Amino acid sequence: MNAPLLKRLWQTFARSRVGRSIFRVGLPESNLERSQAMTSSFLLHIQPAKVHKHSLKAGYSLGLGLISLYLFFILIGTGVLLMFYYVPSTDRAYNEMKDLQFVVSAGLLIRNMHRWAAHLMVLFVMLHLCRVFYTGAYKHPREFNWVMGVGLFLLTLGLSFTGYLLPWDQLAFWAITVGTNIAGYAPIIGPKVKYLLLGGNVVGQEALTRFYALHVIVLPTLALIMVAVHLWRVRKDGGLSRPDESGDVIEQIPLGQLPTNKSYGLMELARGTTPQVGKNPEDEVFSWPHLVFREILLFLLVAAVVLFLAIFWNAPLEEYANPIYPPNPAKAPWYFLGLQELVSYSAFWGGVVIPGLLVTALVLLPYLDRARAGVGRWFARERVVANSIFTICLLAAIVFTIIGTYFRGPSWSWVEPWQQPPAITEGR
Amino acid sequence: MNNSMRTFYGWFTFLGLVIGGLVILGYYRDEYREWKQYQHRFIQEEIRRATTPQQKALAETTRVEVRQILLPELNRVDRCTTCHLAVEDPSYGGYPQPLAYHPLHEQHPFEKFGCTICHRGQGRAATGADAHGSVPHWDQPMLPMKYIQASCGQCHEAADNPAAPELARGQQVFETSGCRGCHKLGGVGGNIGSELDKVGARRSPEWLKQHFLTPSAVTPNSAMPPQKFSDADLDAIVLFMLSQTGESAPGYYASMKVIPSASQGQRLFLQKGCIGCHSIAGQGGKVGPALDDVGLRRAPEWMMQHFRDPQSVTPGTVMPKFGFTETEARALTEFLLHLRERNVVSSLPSLMNPVERGHEVYRKYGCAGCHGLDAKGGVPNPNAKTAEQVPGLIYVADGYTKSELNTRILKGQREIPALDPKRAPPPLYMPAWGAVIKDAELDDLVAYLVSLKPKGEDVGF
Repeated sequence: MNAPLLKRLWQTFARSRVGRSIFRVGLPESNLERSQAMTSSFLLHIQPAKVHKHSLKAGYSLGLGLISLYLFFILIGTGVLLMFYYVPSTDRAYNEMKDLQFVVSAGLLIRNMHRWAAHLMVLFVMLHLCRVFYTGAYKHPREFNWVMGVGLFLLTLGLSFTGYLLPWDQLAFWAITVGTNIAGYAPIIGPKVKYLLLGGNVVGQEALTRFYALHVIVLPTLALIMVAVHLWRVRKDGGLSRPDESGDVIEQIPLGQLPTNKSYGLMELARGTTPQVGKNPEDEVFSWPHLVFREILLFLLVAAVVLFLAIFWNAPLEEYANPIYPPNPAKAPWYFLGLQELVSYSAFWGGVVIPGLLVTALVLLPYLDRARAGVGRWFARERVVANSIFTICLLAAIVFTIIGTYFRGPSWSWVEPWQQPPAITEGR
Repeated sequence: MNNSMRTFYGWFTFLGLVIGGLVILGYYRDEYREWKQYQHRFIQEEIRRATTPQQKALAETTRVEVRQILLPELNRVDRCTTCHLAVEDPSYGGYPQPLAYHPLHEQHPFEKFGCTICHRGQGRAATGADAHGSVPHWDQPMLPMKYIQASCGQCHEAADNPAAPELARGQQVFETSGCRGCHKLGGVGGNIGSELDKVGARRSPEWLKQHFLTPSAVTPNSAMPPQKFSDADLDAIVLFMLSQTGESAPGYYASMKVIPSASQGQRLFLQKGCIGCHSIAGQGGKVGPALDDVGLRRAPEWMMQHFRDPQSVTPGTVMPKFGFTETEARALTEFLLHLRERNVVSSLPSLMNPVERGHEVYRKYGCAGCHGLDAKGGVPNPNAKTAEQVPGLIYVADGYTKSELNTRILKGQREIPALDPKRAPPPLYMPAWGAVIKDAELDDLVAYLVSLKPKGEDVGF
């Protein structure tokens, strides 16, 4: 036996009485054990024992959904640590940020990790959405999982936005003031929604309390449940989407027409696209280690990137929130700057109609676009119309966001970023 | 295990090392804190200076840790002593910072006041740059020592504090330069300029200085004329402005606010009605003795006792026990002692004639800011029909009756006739003072204005 030392140590432990009681299977050596490793573990059993080779292609999924999930885990971990110090009070929140920076061990690092993971999560959830669109992966039978994905995207924005207020500095205060004002532009319900969010007409203690409760309890719990359902449905729908193959589609036999010369198990009553174990054995590999190892590797990569960013770039903290002196321009968080740019043309059209239409279109998309061609391939030629429309919307969103971020100066006037004057606060 | 799995192990190892390295780097950056080197330096110094084994052992066991002064009432935490470790040890006098001794100030003990209430800066911070506050996103950098007396004015009346002469001078410059003509401070003043109640918390010394010299350089289109102060006056008024932070001291700190001083005593003397029985310079009641020379006749201790309980030093006196607080009694005593000096008597409002009182009113509300110190005018008001200046007031007695002057002051004049209607209207205008200047003051002010006309001169409009 020439196995490395660590592996031998692990084997010895896993085969011991204690090891077996925890893991049931040691490091799998046979295909039977590889299946058991997946099915007998609570954490792994949400994934199948065997997985289609196509799902493992890094170039297909780019791991974007998984990266988002890992960032979410990092956010939960660092978020709980931050909760040990944070107090959602307008008097104390800002001071706690200062204490984290100056006297709490690793306080700044943890806050930085939380901040970076949050921004990255918004980014990667968006990228994941784009990937699913460009590969046509939202089509039957995954229509509703796409809708849940859109819901998760909105939840991610909500999580980031509610977290934005918590440091209670100028950046937080005015970004939330601008953001909730945009919400207030909606007809009839807009002002009510804004009032409900803020617990008043302006950002104050009530708003902080509500944003805190939403940020640490309501939205994360919702997101966690929806992520679980999202993943479960991925498996139930037969793993990641892939190009149609003849062997994959099975006609569902109506129950009444079952032949009588055979007894049927539950497997045969299952839906058509459930992974058919043994149906295409040559296309499938064991999840352990092919899938699990890739997942672990990706987690290490994400963790390393977040750590790296957190060590070298600090999360911003501006002056203590001051309702009397708005910075000029007061800008929303970056992912809402495209929206803010639209609002600067027309509050109603830019702040209500266009974003409302876009979200509605995203939700209805899988029910409107039902053609089966081109699923499971990037930029399939058959989907050129859908892809073009999506790309135009995406580019428009990016352009408006860039304009809002870099080309807007005091009073939302046009400035070139290379001669951007500093934001005018009250001169000192 | 096939080859592709082997490359996995390689990647695991590589990424594991990367993460391990990053964790170590993060730990090092977190563990290395600037203040620790100062604490080690301090401990080394303590060990060097130790003369007995006990002292040495004590120094060697000093913990390296964040030190802070908690000031819940002031909503502050001052960690300055984390680096400035010897502020309370006189034997460190003359040491270079951060180990220098802070001269004793027994009225402001560290544990009750901390550091930043006077010096400003960022008390919670624990690095030199952040704590001293000259960093982005911190609007309270340390106050230069030149302006340190501004901090006295946050709690104490400027004129009461003998330890802050610069502050008193700044207030003097403020009150006599007519700033109140346009600016409100403490609710009194005009409304052409901005309110000044919190100006000291928002503006830097540099900004203020620039603002006095060329207002339009820091506030575009400012209507304020450039001020011609001497350098000393400029520093003094900048300092006075810095003292106006609008912070109200809570609880314990507010109770320490009144410094017993002659001017405080003078205010009390008028408020409490002493003049009803006692006279100064022949003015006042005749029931009690005249007080002009009481400072020569009586010792301060006698006066204090007299204020506490008149019967105890003058049996049978009709003067009642007023129940003055100890601070009030001391302030009154200071005032009586100062009565020996003539100028105190002449500045008592009730002893002045209406014209003198009117001059006081003229100064109090900052009329001088626009109409000039001696009401001779001359402050530029671009595009005003009156020679592009605010008019002087010396000859108002010729053009207006007293009641017309009354109306003019109370109602003001919002629209100033323009020289050239095509240009921007004149920036300065006459505010309505109706809600501010009271009846008696108004009569005095008008009396003063009428008196301005040079004697024996009759231009004859």
